[in-house]
Amino acid sequence: MERCRNAAMKKNAQKTLTPLSSSLKANTDAIRSRFGGSFDLVVRLFRSDAAPSRELAIIYIDGIVDAETVNVSVMEPLMSMTLPPHAHTKGTKLLDALRSCIVSVGSVGESATLEEALQAVSDGSCLVLAEGCTSVLTASVNGGEQRSVTIPQTQTVIRGPQYSFVENIRTNISLVRRIIRSSDLHVQMHKIGSQTHTDVAVLYLNGIVDEGVLKEVYRRLADIDIDGVLESGYIEEFIQDETFTLFPTVLNTERPDTVASILLEGRVAIMVDGTPIVLMAPITFFSFFQSPEDYYQRFDIATFIRVIRYAAFIVSILLPGLYIAVTTYHQEMLPTTLLISLAAQREGVPFPGLVEALLMEVTFEVLREAGLRMPRAIGPAISIVGALVLGQSAVQAGIVSAGMVIVVSFTAISNFVMPEFNMGAASRIIRFIFMLMAGMFGFFGLFISVLLMLVHLVSLRSFGVPYMSPMAPGSASQSIFRDVFIRLPWWAMIFRPFELKLRNPRRLPNRRKPAAQRHSDNP
Amino acid sequence: MKGWRLLPGLLALLACLPLAGCWNRVELSDIAIVSATGVDWKDGQWQLSYQVVIPQAISGQSPSADSGAAVNVFSTKGENFRGAISKASLETPRRLFFAHNQIVIIGQEAARKGISTLAEAYLRTPDSRETVSVFLTKGSARRVLEQLIPLEKIPGAAIQQMVFNEELNGSTFQEMTMHKVLENLLGSAQAVGIPSLAITGTGESLDQADKLARTNTPSKVRLLDLGIVSGDKLVGWITKEESSGVMWITDQIKKSTVSFACPDDGENKVSSIRITKASTKLRPQRSGDKWTMHVETRAEGTLLEYNCGGDMMQPKQVDATGQAIAQSIKGTMESGWKAVAKYKSDVLGFGDLIHRKHPGTWKQIKGEWPDLFARMDVKIQVKVRVNSTGMSGNSFKKVQEKARS
Repeated sequence: MERCRNAAMKKNAQKTLTPLSSSLKANTDAIRSRFGGSFDLVVRLFRSDAAPSRELAIIYIDGIVDAETVNVSVMEPLMSMTLPPHAHTKGTKLLDALRSCIVSVGSVGESATLEEALQAVSDGSCLVLAEGCTSVLTASVNGGEQRSVTIPQTQTVIRGPQYSFVENIRTNISLVRRIIRSSDLHVQMHKIGSQTHTDVAVLYLNGIVDEGVLKEVYRRLADIDIDGVLESGYIEEFIQDETFTLFPTVLNTERPDTVASILLEGRVAIMVDGTPIVLMAPITFFSFFQSPEDYYQRFDIATFIRVIRYAAFIVSILLPGLYIAVTTYHQEMLPTTLLISLAAQREGVPFPGLVEALLMEVTFEVLREAGLRMPRAIGPAISIVGALVLGQSAVQAGIVSAGMVIVVSFTAISNFVMPEFNMGAASRIIRFIFMLMAGMFGFFGLFISVLLMLVHLVSLRSFGVPYMSPMAPGSASQSIFRDVFIRLPWWAMIFRPFELKLRNPRRLPNRRKPAAQRHSDNP
Repeated sequence: MKGWRLLPGLLALLACLPLAGCWNRVELSDIAIVSATGVDWKDGQWQLSYQVVIPQAISGQSPSADSGAAVNVFSTKGENFRGAISKASLETPRRLFFAHNQIVIIGQEAARKGISTLAEAYLRTPDSRETVSVFLTKGSARRVLEQLIPLEKIPGAAIQQMVFNEELNGSTFQEMTMHKVLENLLGSAQAVGIPSLAITGTGESLDQADKLARTNTPSKVRLLDLGIVSGDKLVGWITKEESSGVMWITDQIKKSTVSFACPDDGENKVSSIRITKASTKLRPQRSGDKWTMHVETRAEGTLLEYNCGGDMMQPKQVDATGQAIAQSIKGTMESGWKAVAKYKSDVLGFGDLIHRKHPGTWKQIKGEWPDLFARMDVKIQVKVRVNSTGMSGNSFKKVQEKARS
């Protein structure tokens, strides 16, 4: 099977080599026929003063090139300018002359095969062909309609930059470059997808990033063999370490400042053209609880909020399970008055606790999904129906108890506290597992499932970095200060994350805070 | 690839989970929460009474929640405790749930018969907890359970709160949990004092919710006497004043109010002080075959009421007042001691103390301890410091006199 695949790859590679002919007509016809005579392919034949004896052609795809640039920088010079007398115009030298003297586009290349030329056209380049030349000029004139940079939709902050990535990878890279103005910010481009030829960029800070991790990223990207990449999720599933896990091992963001911050920590960012979502690796479990805002707010407030976030995570995975376990197995654990009020609520509820909880949770999940997919205009209607169904009618009808409604709503709200959506999604599924186990075995089942979850968590890795580090492996005292629970003030955060094992772990040269000069000390 | 191969195994494991059934699942609507239990000895059988909470009546969602009593009382009989309890399923649709039982009331007959059966039942089964408060009653335990208590919905919890409140603020009685009772009965002296409940007033039963609709109730449940249990049987009762003396000797006073007579004129206890801090030290001493217990008590407090003459601005007068208070406390303690000695029941823990301090000697005397205990000499010393005279100084009367002159 392995051999088979290699053979297929070789075959693929051989297929791509079709040299261009020296006949302009043959070339234009070949390109046109390979595009199947597509309507948006523009082939323009013309004669020019630059090379009076020969026919020239430009080829581009309408809509993905910037028409203005094509006209001003390619067409106009070609048609109106003449080559200086010393230029060589014989044979294939003509193209060199055109490139160096006439075509005034920043990035101009040359390709000698049909496949390269086709790819260039598909990428949004403008081809310049000449009679008697066995190669073509590819002038990069990408353009066309695109969304402008807007405020972040999913990862909002109160304090911090208010712009997010867009679908264009070049814009995205530039957004990061504007933050990290250093030649150490390296960007490596890959093309993935045998049909889509999607641009995938790997960003890292040279000198800080761990070379091993970088190599691993390249290796995994190179191994991807897929026809199309429409979103970074495609790439994520290919490069993540473990498929059979509920926990995400690759972080994603739509915020340029988040990307900049993880690059500064020595991690790698992977951008995919066509999506504003950028992947980041290697990461740990605790990265999912760090909001960009943690680093913009005062450290004490940030620490408090972060602890709340962990608490909310625990609530969102455990609370319904705990409620089921306590009310159906361990009634003796509740304070008497609470037990009696819960018992009063449950009088007349026809379902066992587990069924009641599942009913409510599923209802909530449905409502939530509906809220997401609904056209904007119907959104409020859904929330009204949801609030009525969940909140009042179900309780009044005696289908579910009021306590259960409180538990489900609090769980749902806790779930929204998580800064990363995919961790929130993971917690939702885990919650169902915990509920089932609690419904079958009470606290015993809950304990076993939590234990299994922890065992699973410590077994995970993200690009070789243990998922639970710096807590496991690592000492508890270390992990408290390593940006897990406590966000140190910036002047004290002198190290980059230790779990990445960087060769250059120091972030600040020393722990020094500019001393404040007291007012009274002033002369 | 590896993951897929594991999948069938995982699924098989998952499928096994429901096979275990739902273990010992009990829905909240399948249990009857017992808030108080009563133990009576009737016609040669144990009669157990249960006060079962009706949750809807306490915090129901229906508007008619307020009507009707929040508890229901019923009894079962049997040769032994658990046998009697198991008969409950003959007359109630729900399983009795004892984990939230707040109090156990033992009727006089049952207590005289012996409470070892009860102790046995409590020690052996996990769902009955040793944190329940134990009470005695001179009448039938069931009747006490039937009484509603104003202000509170659940009488069982209310009675527990009552003794808790008394222990904290009055210190006449101590909350005796089952744990403490068993500990004392298994200790060196094998005696314990348990507070008792009585229905006072006209004696009319307060067993209907609408009787609480009035501003006054014809009768009420209150803490009355201290029952002395020796071995496992009730041997007698001491009054609440004597009980207070016992509390002073055993260093159980948390906060209390002490009435006292004026330093200069004898009998009428017209003033009172709030004791905020009290400690008692016991020191046993042997002389021949007679034991002496030195009891040293120190107390501090704030004057609550002072209807005496004398200038409280003078330290001398304050000291004199302190001595008067000490005299009053000493009297209480002595009455407590006498009452206990009468029953030859060491509920004061003297035996434990001697056992701990002179383990060798204890071995020789433990056989005749009840007699030795009754013959003991108890020397009481009380020192009281009046910390504050409250927000005023001299008595109102004295101030008035001064203003007139």
